[in-house]
Amino acid sequence: MSELRERVQAIFRSVFGDDTLVLSDGMTAADVDGWDSLAHINLIIAIEQKLGVKFATAEISRLKEPGQNVGSFLKLIEGKMAGRA
Amino acid sequence: MPSQTSHEEGLLHFIEADAPARHRLFESFQAALKTAAREEGTEAARRWALRALQPTLSYSELMSLRRWLVRSEQAPPHVLRLAVLGGPTTTQLTQLVESFLAGLGVNVDVYEAGYGLFRQELLTPGSPLDAFRPQLVFLATSNRDVLRCPRLGDPAQHVERLLDQELADWNSLWEIARNRWQATVIQNTFEIPPIRVMGHYGIRHPAAAETYLERLNLALAASAPPHVLLHDVRALAAEAGASAWFDPRFYFDAKLPCGPDCLVAYAHSVASLIAASRGKSRKVLVLDLDNTLWGDVVGDVGAGGIRLGQGLPDGEAFFAFQQYCKALQERGVVLAVCSKNDEARAREPFTLRTDMALKLTDLSCFIANWNNKVDNLREIARVLELGLDSFVFVDDNPMERAVVRRFLPAVAVPDMPEDPAGFVAALHQHRYFEMTAFTAEDAHRGHHYAEEGARRQLADQAVDIDSFLASLEMRARCEPVGELSLERAVQLVNKSNQFNLTTRRCSVAEMRARASDRAWRTLTVSLRDRVGDSGLISVLILVHEDSRLVVDTWVMSCRVLNRGVETFVLNQLLALARGLGVSQIEGTYVPTPRNGLVRDHYRRLGFAMARSDGETTNWVLTGVDRLDPLPTHVLPEDA
Repeated sequence: MSELRERVQAIFRSVFGDDTLVLSDGMTAADVDGWDSLAHINLIIAIEQKLGVKFATAEISRLKEPGQNVGSFLKLIEGKMAGRA
Repeated sequence: MPSQTSHEEGLLHFIEADAPARHRLFESFQAALKTAAREEGTEAARRWALRALQPTLSYSELMSLRRWLVRSEQAPPHVLRLAVLGGPTTTQLTQLVESFLAGLGVNVDVYEAGYGLFRQELLTPGSPLDAFRPQLVFLATSNRDVLRCPRLGDPAQHVERLLDQELADWNSLWEIARNRWQATVIQNTFEIPPIRVMGHYGIRHPAAAETYLERLNLALAASAPPHVLLHDVRALAAEAGASAWFDPRFYFDAKLPCGPDCLVAYAHSVASLIAASRGKSRKVLVLDLDNTLWGDVVGDVGAGGIRLGQGLPDGEAFFAFQQYCKALQERGVVLAVCSKNDEARAREPFTLRTDMALKLTDLSCFIANWNNKVDNLREIARVLELGLDSFVFVDDNPMERAVVRRFLPAVAVPDMPEDPAGFVAALHQHRYFEMTAFTAEDAHRGHHYAEEGARRQLADQAVDIDSFLASLEMRARCEPVGELSLERAVQLVNKSNQFNLTTRRCSVAEMRARASDRAWRTLTVSLRDRVGDSGLISVLILVHEDSRLVVDTWVMSCRVLNRGVETFVLNQLLALARGLGVSQIEGTYVPTPRNGLVRDHYRRLGFAMARSDGETTNWVLTGVDRLDPLPTHVLPEDA
């Protein structure tokens, strides 16, 4: 597993309080217990704070849009971190 | 079991740590909480999580801790009904407020209105809010909730009219909360937006948003009655920096009132204000000396060599911190010193230097010796007759902080940065000393303790307690709660823990209602003697039912313990009972961890025990029409 995927997975586990959660590219909000709009904001805030990235307004809820999943979300974060480096 | 000690050590490491180590240890703390929950139960994990709560944690850390704060079935039922009515989205804010309140010892039942529905819910009789009957209404509004904003071209009189109407509108919401539920209201001030379309000219133009909102804030504060607590969001936003406060991304996406980190400061600030209104703010600031009040070690360099005051940059920073402590003292915080030092040397900077902001007379207790600080803090609590849970301990030494955090969990111990220039901000951000009223007693609290010292000297001179009490020439004034005494009476009822028979708390609105209700009687006692004026020191709330007078609440300031005030009050009760044609006075003692002092209070006054369930005891005094007043050295003011 890439280092980024591992870090994001740790953040998911902490936000959803589930130590067994494993990320997969096809995963969406519907696949995770408790992924409501509140948990989603907590997830975005945790990723911003722990990885030092900043989402644009339209990106904050993009993951909940049709056709989006954890795979595309990871790519978005990866792009931001590469841009920063 | 080795695993048990290791997870407890993990928990303690986190509790003892300062930032930034605290953030590094957070994950292992979470893991240790899980072990604690598995091996000792969720209630144990909850207690550890409560101990860890503080405003220096991040938004994400606090949200993770929330999971452990769910109250178990055995949790105390004592709850406050809190309605949070937004404005912007309040979900996250409410969760954080609830967590911080639990950490401050206030358990709440929360009712949360839907997004933007605060006016409808308040204005509609029979709304779900009405059924909830809140004791506390928090109007979690932002500047977007101001209904009437002038346009830049509006004539000046029109702007004035809008301002008056807006003010009247908020006043009417406050009245609804009072008339319908006797609720206390928390009203936010409105944050001033950082963007000013008129630039520097705006401050001269009455219709510019920043000018209009500033005036509205001041008008709200000036018109707020005592049952309304102002929560100064405007000041919070200014503290964070107006541009840092508002994160437009999270507002546009989720209608969050401010950015995530500011949300922590916001929630903690509201929680501190609510806790203060329930008498849970801290009262005592205990200060170390070397490298806390001045730079360097006085025992090594002498009073002339310490780093303090003009000409030394860090010396000015220490002086600024002393000034801040002095300002806290002037508004009612009790100051004490706890230092590892030779006492004579430790006092020298106070007696020999003229440039100390703090004087010995500002300090209600001065302990400098070589004992450990845990024992010394216990000693200060004993001398001041105040509980350790009202203490804040400030020490530059991380080891001393860790020891106190480990062994005295009741004492609040803020992180202190290495640079003294950061001391004031480090202490301030915890909002330990929030206040909801400023009474004459607050302004003179320091003097009260100094006077107490003078009385102790009298006691040493007097040959016996009787002649000592007689020598004080005490005079007491006894009257019902009135508008002038309302705030102090409520403060005393909510702050007293030791001399408090039932520990029932009471809001300004409730007290006012009782003072005017014929079924209730309220009584305040003010005491002065030849050393000084102790002010309003005792409050009673009574219910009059047919031939009985029932004491619902009886509290007294511990400052005037053992002086015969209780006996004086009983004599007043006898007179009141006779006036009402009542033959029997009843009282209740509800034990708490703090009020063992008054376990035998009613027995000492001649009451007989009527009932006991093993904890709560009920007492009765019969035939009051035939009883003579008991002897006491406290005489009525007009005697």
